[in-house]
Amino acid sequence: MAVQLTPKDFATATPSWWCPGCGDFGVLSALKQAMADLGKIPKDVAFVSGIGCSGKISGYLHSYAFHGVHGRALPVATAVKLANKDLTVIAAGGDGDGYAIGAGHFLHAVRRNPDITYIVMDNQTYGLTKGQSSPTSQAGYVTGTSPQGNPDAPINGLSIALAAGGTFLARGFSAHPKILVDLIKQAVAHKGFSIVEVMSPCVTFNKINTYAWFKENTYYVTDDPNYDATNRTGAFEVLNSDEKMPLGVIYRDSRATFEALTHLPEIPVAHANLDAHAPELATIMESYR
Amino acid sequence: MIVNDIEIMFGGQAGDGSLTTGDLIAGVFKRMGLEVYTYKDFPSRIRGGHTNYVIRAGERTNYGMADFVDGLVAFDLEAVEVHIEELRPGGFVIFDNTSDQLTDAVKRDDVTWYEVPLAKMAKEDLGLELVRNTISLGVLGALVGMDSEIMKADVAGVYKRKGEKVVDINVRAVEAGENYVKEHFGEWPRAYGLKAKPDGDRLIMMGNDAIGYGALVAGCRFMAGYPITPATDVLEWMAKYAPRFGGVAVQAEDELAAINMVIGAAFTGVRSMTATSGPGQALMTEAIGLAGVLEIPIVVVECARAGPSTGMPTKTEQSNLNHLIFSGHGEIPRIVLAPGTVEDSFYLTVAAFNLAEKYQCPVFVLSEQALCQSKATLPKLDLSRVEIDRGKLVLDPVVFGEYKRFAFTDDGVSPRVIPGVEGGMHLAAGSEHNDAGVITENAKNRTRMMDKRFRKLDTAKPDLPTPLLHGDPQAEIGIIGYGSNRGPIVESQDRMARNGIATRFLELRTLWPFPEDEVRDFIADAKHVFVVENNYTGQLERLIRYVVGPLERMHRVLKYNGRPFHPIEISDEIEKHADVRPLVKV
Repeated sequence: MAVQLTPKDFATATPSWWCPGCGDFGVLSALKQAMADLGKIPKDVAFVSGIGCSGKISGYLHSYAFHGVHGRALPVATAVKLANKDLTVIAAGGDGDGYAIGAGHFLHAVRRNPDITYIVMDNQTYGLTKGQSSPTSQAGYVTGTSPQGNPDAPINGLSIALAAGGTFLARGFSAHPKILVDLIKQAVAHKGFSIVEVMSPCVTFNKINTYAWFKENTYYVTDDPNYDATNRTGAFEVLNSDEKMPLGVIYRDSRATFEALTHLPEIPVAHANLDAHAPELATIMESYR
Repeated sequence: MIVNDIEIMFGGQAGDGSLTTGDLIAGVFKRMGLEVYTYKDFPSRIRGGHTNYVIRAGERTNYGMADFVDGLVAFDLEAVEVHIEELRPGGFVIFDNTSDQLTDAVKRDDVTWYEVPLAKMAKEDLGLELVRNTISLGVLGALVGMDSEIMKADVAGVYKRKGEKVVDINVRAVEAGENYVKEHFGEWPRAYGLKAKPDGDRLIMMGNDAIGYGALVAGCRFMAGYPITPATDVLEWMAKYAPRFGGVAVQAEDELAAINMVIGAAFTGVRSMTATSGPGQALMTEAIGLAGVLEIPIVVVECARAGPSTGMPTKTEQSNLNHLIFSGHGEIPRIVLAPGTVEDSFYLTVAAFNLAEKYQCPVFVLSEQALCQSKATLPKLDLSRVEIDRGKLVLDPVVFGEYKRFAFTDDGVSPRVIPGVEGGMHLAAGSEHNDAGVITENAKNRTRMMDKRFRKLDTAKPDLPTPLLHGDPQAEIGIIGYGSNRGPIVESQDRMARNGIATRFLELRTLWPFPEDEVRDFIADAKHVFVVENNYTGQLERLIRYVVGPLERMHRVLKYNGRPFHPIEISDEIEKHADVRPLVKV
């Protein structure tokens, strides 16, 4: 008999390493709420994270959690899904993890469209190494490694994902928990690769993109009743506008998942029958006569 | 005299079909009951550039290349220019003189020249220039006494997919070649007079196929890789077969993704592997450390090629031994296996999957271009010898809080759950962690955890593939080597034995953990020890010194030009040492 779990059932006993006030707390609690609301159970959730402040999140979600090397959460998560398609697979990491060292995998995960959810916790800085510029830092951002101002233009992850054939693109704000829970729930329910980019302020190192800054500089696409999240051109327009930063479900589409296109069998690969003496195996040998 | 040992080389331009022709002839020799070894020496390009394919056939098993080529089938003058010096005195050349003409400069007078207008015959007599290679088979077969019926049947088999017309023209091409020999070169010289015998219960397989097949039989159901010469065949093999057995093979965007996918699938409970070569291996290094500290069972096949950097992608080398054993930041337990034959490539791949799961660590299968892309005959593989041992894999529910994924155990191996197992939820972190998986930098825990992980190698020791001893166990002259050098070393031993020099050869099949006891015993009472390997710095010899200390009577026999040893190169080097030679009795 299914018992309705609560966010507490997804909590671990491990104390958090994040600074007080960190945006990542909001992401974690929204995630726990979403898992409970969706009726997930910890044993069937695989949660893969990268490296950085955000990467620590896997230690705080009661599940089969995986904290690998920097930038490689998506290949791990993709393979976990292929290995057992019955699992709910979520990957999480920061803007550096996903858009710098792991940018290649981001692009290829988007085009493969595995049925997993990727949460990019974007604080526009490298927090764990004490505040260097990140791929989403504003140009001119002054840091220890960019004393003359960040010379690089910021990356627009969702716009890149849209160009690469993304099928679910959302952006949330960690200070808007209710909406964030809803975005994560929609993302996890989406059949295909879903991205939730969460603006998650770093209170310690990023003195530009603060909570107040986001409140001032963001809006929800749903504010416009005519916004059509299935219109690709419209999505490009809002993502690349010089005006305020759009939040909400920006684009959704539907196409075959990686699992379908790799013709995964009905039985999860992890449960495949391993019989070294199966006659079909002996048959292969005959072709080498 | 019947000399049942022959080495044929097909030489031409890449893309002109000499590889297909070589494969075909290897099959014919096999069906004639002979033992076969092939070696591909091709450029790292698809069209153009000199390429050659060597086929050795005879009565001994586990061949490498011979000392000299008996017969060269040259599709152009370049093939003659490049290889004429490799021919045995008394050998022969079949030369296509349609467009190129032989020059005095290349025309050795101690070999027999058979000039045949192959391309012209193909075009004018058979109306299809493509069958030039097939005509050359007929010429070759007639000259060396190959079984014409087997050849025609094999040619028909190869072209069956392309329809009756193609089969017919190719069979006629074989006959045209045979007839040309009869008409122009008189009586069949039968210089080699190869003697057919029953084929028996044998296979002919490429090293990479044996690895793929071994993986599948061992229960590998996930592979991720990135195309790289000479390892790509393994990914192609698994892409073809894994889905038929409920598995999946993924072509990843790079080696970083490939190895992390393999780790992800293995974490989820699937027997998983990747196959790569030097450059890819270098990229995978960080994640292999992760698999080590996470105690995730993965199999990494390394098909070594000549490095560094791009090096010589299609050439062979044993220069990645140090990399496999020592690479990575930090320290992890790992196992490195090295098959010396196609047959052993199968069995050691099977062993790798069991070792990986039993000891929850990365296991490498180290092959080389001269082995993994070579075909050889072998006895039918014995599947009844294969047992799948999944070690301490736990699929039944455990009690959350009591269960500890990285539990400190006497043998160093902790019970391993996979996602979906009730109660087994934990964090698998590349950061140092305690027995429950919680990240900690506690000093005491760190020491205990390092001890626990490395204890696994002690536990694994009796389980590791043992070295093989070849030759005279009492001999004073010792040879140590591994991998593709097995064939040439054993043949060099035969040659030295004929010269009255007894040798024993220790073929290492596990390179790490290093078989310290066996090697120490082997060299203890040897007068000389020769370490034979394909690299510049003597990586294996250094490894032995690292274990047993400096040894004056230990010598390096090295070759690092990208080509495998010829037996004579090894015996010459060993015989150089004056006191190795037998006493001459007057």
